[in-house]
Amino acid sequence: MIAGDDAPLLQVEPGYRNVLRVRSAIFWGTITIAALIADRALWADTPVALIVPAILIFITIVAVGVIPNRTYRRLRYRLTDCLLQVMRGWLVHSDTVVPLVRVQHLDVVRGPLEKMFGTSTLVVHTAGTLNSTVTVPGLSPERAAEIRDVIREHVRTDFE
Amino acid sequence: MSERISNDPPLPAAHAVGPVERLHPAFLIAGLGGSVRAVSGGYAFLAYLIVSGRFSTALIVGIGIFIVSIISVFVYWRHFEFRVGASEIRIDSGIFSRTHRSIPFDRIQDVDISQGVLARLFGIAKVKLETGGSSGPKADEGVLQAIPLKRAEDLRNLIRSRRGAAAATAETASGVSDTPTAEPIYRMGIKRLLLAGTFNFSLALFAGLFGLTQTMGDFMGFDPLSAAFWQSVLSEDPARSFILAHQAAAVIAGIILLVLIGLVTGVVRTVVRDWGFRLDRTEVGLRRRRGLTTITDVTLAVRRVQAAIMAGGPLRQALGYSELRVQTLGHDEGSGNHVVAPLATCGETNAIVEQLGWRRLPHGIPWTRVSSGYIWSLMVGLTPLYLVLIVQLAVIQYALFQVQENIRAIVWAEMTPVLVSFFAVLGVIVVAIGSRALAWRTTAYAIDGDRLLVRTGWWKKRLTLLPLRRIQSITLHESFVTRRFGIASLAFGVAGGRAGRGYSVPAIPREGARGLRDRLLDVTP
Repeated sequence: MIAGDDAPLLQVEPGYRNVLRVRSAIFWGTITIAALIADRALWADTPVALIVPAILIFITIVAVGVIPNRTYRRLRYRLTDCLLQVMRGWLVHSDTVVPLVRVQHLDVVRGPLEKMFGTSTLVVHTAGTLNSTVTVPGLSPERAAEIRDVIREHVRTDFE
Repeated sequence: MSERISNDPPLPAAHAVGPVERLHPAFLIAGLGGSVRAVSGGYAFLAYLIVSGRFSTALIVGIGIFIVSIISVFVYWRHFEFRVGASEIRIDSGIFSRTHRSIPFDRIQDVDISQGVLARLFGIAKVKLETGGSSGPKADEGVLQAIPLKRAEDLRNLIRSRRGAAAATAETASGVSDTPTAEPIYRMGIKRLLLAGTFNFSLALFAGLFGLTQTMGDFMGFDPLSAAFWQSVLSEDPARSFILAHQAAAVIAGIILLVLIGLVTGVVRTVVRDWGFRLDRTEVGLRRRRGLTTITDVTLAVRRVQAAIMAGGPLRQALGYSELRVQTLGHDEGSGNHVVAPLATCGETNAIVEQLGWRRLPHGIPWTRVSSGYIWSLMVGLTPLYLVLIVQLAVIQYALFQVQENIRAIVWAEMTPVLVSFFAVLGVIVVAIGSRALAWRTTAYAIDGDRLLVRTGWWKKRLTLLPLRRIQSITLHESFVTRRFGIASLAFGVAGGRAGRGYSVPAIPREGARGLRDRLLDVTP
């Protein structure tokens, strides 16, 4: 078994849901408004008027109201003595494991939205060409820095 | 601006991180060049304005570009901080999105110091830190745009001294015998070369000819691939009546000609590329020399080899041959897949594998086949195509059951595209499922001590040797389709390949996949 397998699977900060909500609201909102303008300007008098915007409004509601919660609930991570594990995804599920000794370098990234909701993203770079970056979003800045320091210690002791 | 920085809650400082340092203020001038160059689109616009005679507008735009450049350089400088610790360097950068990067010294492969003309004037230098990370362009990993030259050299010495011990252990850990042998470990004689050429059967010539006639045909005034051209060539010839009279014979002769051309193309290409193929063992690795017109000489460092792949089609395998490639992580010779033996027998392959410092392949590998869910999940995944098929069937049925004679004639006249697309979609489905079923029979994996063996493909068979300590990450994938069949796939990140390309084992029963992953991680130090 994986050493330290008893380490619990942890959830990220609840604030991450808001980051996701605002992100998809911006993305889908922009598309919906563009579609609405196009709809009014181009085919307002045809029978298909308002169909595309209506579909997009529905998608926006789902993408903002339902999906962030699910994404958040299914995002789990675990840090054991020798590896970092990240599980994510709803319809398509992925479960990535990175041995800590394989890590090349580390980033803690905070975008404006993440600052607003008090989260940050840990980015782990590996040498593999597949999954060359493994990200753990939605961590509190303190937790991200803590994990960063733990992993860095392992990188340091690799050759010694 | 400064408020934003102070609002940013400081990350808990680790014990061994030095004081905050900034780029040299001279960067504000030296860096301007790079920033001014960066707005290339602006210059096109500027040139357009000048050409169209609007000089005053051009002046305003030019000044605008200049001011924006100055501001962006200043903002970059203002928000860039780095700290050198006992074992790592930390770089904090970014304006709206802050990145706090931590690069351990042990992972820095190379420190590159460069100086431009302006930089030399100010006594500053640009420092690039390269790690083995595979994401994005190398320049992004750790760049200090402008620090005093003295500081840059100190930094390089510090990193070198920290890495010195590490490099020495890595060298001995590879455990390579240092005796250079005069005898090549693999070479290709002329017979082997010709045999390899016949396996490289290629109709690329026709593809090239086709492309040429598409672009050149009008220019040349004739199209050698069109029927009209041949009819006109043969119009006065008695051969024409002969060929038209013996169509079957003509078709057979054409096919034979096609095969011959394919063979010759393959042989010529192989001979030109692999002439005098020779693989030697040198102190650091495998030295490969080959080529007829351009001789290439590449040395592949043994300790940079990440994986070995044996590939071959059914014919090649039936004759007991395969091609051996190695995937390496390189700085000088370039990363990627390198052919170390184009056509080798089992014994020769094993000899080369042993030269890599690896064990030879055991007899009777205990393969574990993948689940038949591999086929079923594809069948379910093709559902959108079935829907297309059903719609097409409905249309065809509508045409078939037209009672009135005249309407039926009209409908059938329009049916050709529907029929063609129906059979095309049907063909795609049959080929996809058929090849997946054949692939399922050969796809298997096995753990052989400290390495993973993966076998895939039916037409192009591959056997991959992946040492477990070369696995950088493992991802278990499940989708809402595969979950129904209780299967999952494992994907392995390995260094040195093409971006986004790794190795994977599909359709392992879910528990087995987790077990395999645990076993692989267990062996991984």
